[in-house]
Amino acid sequence: VTDAAQGTPDDPVITQSAVGSERQAPLAQTALTGLRQPIVLVLLLIAFFTSISGRVLDGILMLTVALLLALDAGKTRLRSQAGLSATAAVASGRAQAGRSGQDSRGVRRLLIGLAWLAVGVLYAVLVGTFQRYSWPVTACVISLGCLMVAIGWQGPLRQRPALTGQPLRRAWLWGVVVCAGGLWELSSLLQQPHLTTDSYAHPTISALTDPLLASHPGRSLVLGIWLWLGWFLAGR
Amino acid sequence: MRSHYLTVAGYLLVLAAGVTLQTVAVKRPDKVPSLGRVLSHVMRTRTGRVGVCVAWAWVGLHFFAK
Repeated sequence: VTDAAQGTPDDPVITQSAVGSERQAPLAQTALTGLRQPIVLVLLLIAFFTSISGRVLDGILMLTVALLLALDAGKTRLRSQAGLSATAAVASGRAQAGRSGQDSRGVRRLLIGLAWLAVGVLYAVLVGTFQRYSWPVTACVISLGCLMVAIGWQGPLRQRPALTGQPLRRAWLWGVVVCAGGLWELSSLLQQPHLTTDSYAHPTISALTDPLLASHPGRSLVLGIWLWLGWFLAGR
Repeated sequence: MRSHYLTVAGYLLVLAAGVTLQTVAVKRPDKVPSLGRVLSHVMRTRTGRVGVCVAWAWVGLHFFAK
C-alpha cells in the first residue's frame, strides 16, 4: 500500500543497515539515550496520569510503547554517534517509493478508498453497538490502535514536502493551541473531587461527551470521527 | 453552574483558536502552516510518527476501552 517511504534517520531501511552496532550497545545505555526524546517523556506522563485516573490498561499500553520507542530512539542515536552512513539505503528506499507512487492513482485509488470507507462505516456501526468500557469494544479499539502504531512504526505512506521557511517558524502556534487544550483539560481533571469522579463544575472532555456516547448512534458517530482522524494521520 | 460554563467556554475558546488558525493557514499557506502540514512535519521521524499514532490510539482507548 505504501506510496512512498521517507529516508529519515530512524527508518527501517537504515535499521537493517546497522544491525551490527545495535547488538553491541548496552540495553540500559540505549534506553537512557532514548528517554531524552520529548515524545517519550510525553508518553510516560500520559501513562502516569492515565494509570492514576483508574485506566491501568491504557497506562500499561502507553508505557509499553514509550519504552519501545525509547529503545528504538536510543539505538538510532547511538548509531548516528557511531557515524554509520545509510545514504545508499535511503536512496534505494526513495527510488522504490517513486516507482510505487505511480501505481496507486486514478480509478484503483478511488475504489480502494471506497472499500476502506465501507469498512470504516461497518466498524463504526458494529463496534458502536457495544457498551462503552465493555470487553468487546475494548478488544476492537485496542486491536485497531495496535495496528495503527504498527503502521506508524513502518514508515510514512506518502512522501510529503518538508515544512520550511516562515510556515516552519510559525508551527509553534499549533503547539500553543494543543498545549492550551491539554492544560485546560488537566486543570479540570485536577479540580474534580477525585481523579475517577466527574465534576459538574469542572467537566473534562470525556465527562462532557458522556451523554453523546451513551447512545448507539452517538458512539458510532464518535468512532467514525476517530477512524477518519486515523485515516488522515495514516496518510501523513 | 458558573464554573461549568466557564470550563466549557475554555474548551470552546481552544477549539475556536484551532479553527481560526486552520482558516488562516488555508488562506495564507506561505505564512502559517495548516495542521496537516505540521503533523506531516512532526511525523517525518519514527519517533514523531509513533507518538502521534499512539496519541490517536489513546483517544480511542480513553473514550471506549476499559
